[in-house]
Amino acid sequence: MNKFVGKVSIVEVLIWVLLIAVLLFTVTPIVFMIVASFMDAKQILAMPFSWIPSREYFTTADRTFFTNFQKAIMGNNDNPTFFRNLFNSLVVAITDSFTTIFLASLCGYGLAKFKFKGRNLIFLAIMSTMMIPFEAIMIPLYMVVSGMKMINTYRGLIIPFMVSAFGVFQMRQYLLTFPSEYIDAARVDGLSEPGIYARIVVPNSKPVIATLGILSFRNQWDNLLWPLLVAQSETMKTIPQYITKFSEEKMTDEGAMMACAFLASIPMFILFFTLSRYFLGGAAVYDSRKG
Amino acid sequence: MAKKGYSIERKQAKWGLVFTIPCLIFFAVFSFYPIINALFTSLTNRRAISRTSDFVGFENYVYIFTKDNGGFPLSNSIRATLIFTVGTFIPMIIASLIIATFLMQLRKDKYRGFFQLMYYTPAVLSSVVAASIWMIMFDPRGLVNQLSNFVMRTSGVDYNWLVDSTMLQISTMMIYFWKYIGYFVILFITGLASIPNTIYEAATVDGSSRWHTFWKITLPLLKPTTAMVSIMAMLQCLKTFSTQYMLYQGGSSRFPIDVITMNIYFTGIRNGRLGRASAMSIVLFLIMLLFTYIQLRLTRSSEDVEY
Repeated sequence: MNKFVGKVSIVEVLIWVLLIAVLLFTVTPIVFMIVASFMDAKQILAMPFSWIPSREYFTTADRTFFTNFQKAIMGNNDNPTFFRNLFNSLVVAITDSFTTIFLASLCGYGLAKFKFKGRNLIFLAIMSTMMIPFEAIMIPLYMVVSGMKMINTYRGLIIPFMVSAFGVFQMRQYLLTFPSEYIDAARVDGLSEPGIYARIVVPNSKPVIATLGILSFRNQWDNLLWPLLVAQSETMKTIPQYITKFSEEKMTDEGAMMACAFLASIPMFILFFTLSRYFLGGAAVYDSRKG
Repeated sequence: MAKKGYSIERKQAKWGLVFTIPCLIFFAVFSFYPIINALFTSLTNRRAISRTSDFVGFENYVYIFTKDNGGFPLSNSIRATLIFTVGTFIPMIIASLIIATFLMQLRKDKYRGFFQLMYYTPAVLSSVVAASIWMIMFDPRGLVNQLSNFVMRTSGVDYNWLVDSTMLQISTMMIYFWKYIGYFVILFITGLASIPNTIYEAATVDGSSRWHTFWKITLPLLKPTTAMVSIMAMLQCLKTFSTQYMLYQGGSSRFPIDVITMNIYFTGIRNGRLGRASAMSIVLFLIMLLFTYIQLRLTRSSEDVEY
């Protein structure tokens, strides 16, 4: 019996060692980004690396605690676009998450709770678009958007990502399990169909709506390829473009680069640590694809 | 009564269409039309500047498969994409399966939740942020070299993470692996959590060891999840762009990491060769379809697992 307990605890120790090793692997680069954003290039590339920003670098005449952050915001020119680009990213990500929630819930509700001719065909058609990767259609999409004179506009950045097939699928799957009795009861009470959608369906789909909104926000926040195509003027660029350009210009100023990366990550960090259960759940909802 | 039922059905059908048509129009304009358009454009010599568009048959396909496209042939891009995909998604699936299995062994949900949160954190950073962090850590004097020298018991060796063409490819794989490992761990945890506890209890009663249980019970029952997760991981790797683009902008050479999406971007947008870029897009689309088909065939036999 004792031997058995001993054996189990060795396995347990091994499990903990591996889990902590993975933890160090995932967290160390993030900690590195944060501490390095307060350091200058000399300290970042010092051998051996010290994890605490050294005081002597801040106290010189031309360096303060926030020098890197000032550089990250000011960039190389007199006309800084950091806040404008941050604002653009927020506008695009927030708008697309709301349109995704609205259109996907509307369509998912229609597909899950109404019987009509062609319903299955519509569902299949929408699902088949999941097989078309954005990367394969970006060139014609670019031609469509430039034909509609939407280059360098918010519309051009936002419209192609207003809803996703995955979002529609997720809403439909969720609403299939929603009891139809509630909807029928509301009908009997004389609520109109849009009223049922707005006052019964949406309030009862909060978890899946939150998850979809966050997924959409994160995808747009991370999007680099499409803005590279349609946002060509400095004022219409998004944050991933700003970081790319900044790191190209400031290749030797590692501290400023990390400060820039850190600043750009703060909105996502806030969102993640306040709504983490929807993020973690958001990954999990993919699994219901297999039913 | 019958008449009323009929009108309710009519009303239902009307509202069903009203709710679904907006999305259908959206997908028609922004998915179906572009893919058909890509197919059509790939058969023309369309360029961004002149806006001429003459039908040239399969000339673009012949060109991208036989010419070197200004030093960046499509064959190299297919090689780069396939190496990246295989080198990233296979280690990622194996590692995330092992980590998820280990996490499930933890007795307290609190610890498991903490680990999940910490593993997932890199996934919320944008790809360009992830790449820029690692670019600095891969510096000749940076952290990764310091650690490698410590582990390999060498001193002052530069492993050329961002310079040597093989190392550069490994670096992109590492960045991607780091960013997405937590995400795939969570997918596997969801799969593992859906296996009923009673099965494990029965196995324990029968005297099955943990190792035996994992190979004979967990793994077979997890096959549907594994199939789904690996298709997702694979498709995601085939579409990679930001990591490679960021490293290229940071000064690394383009050739070793010139994945298909990057070649489409440079050919179509930077060089304005829309016809050729469309042909490459169609090739990418076909590669993704083919890979999905192969994966589905390989895993089909396991689809009918029931608990």
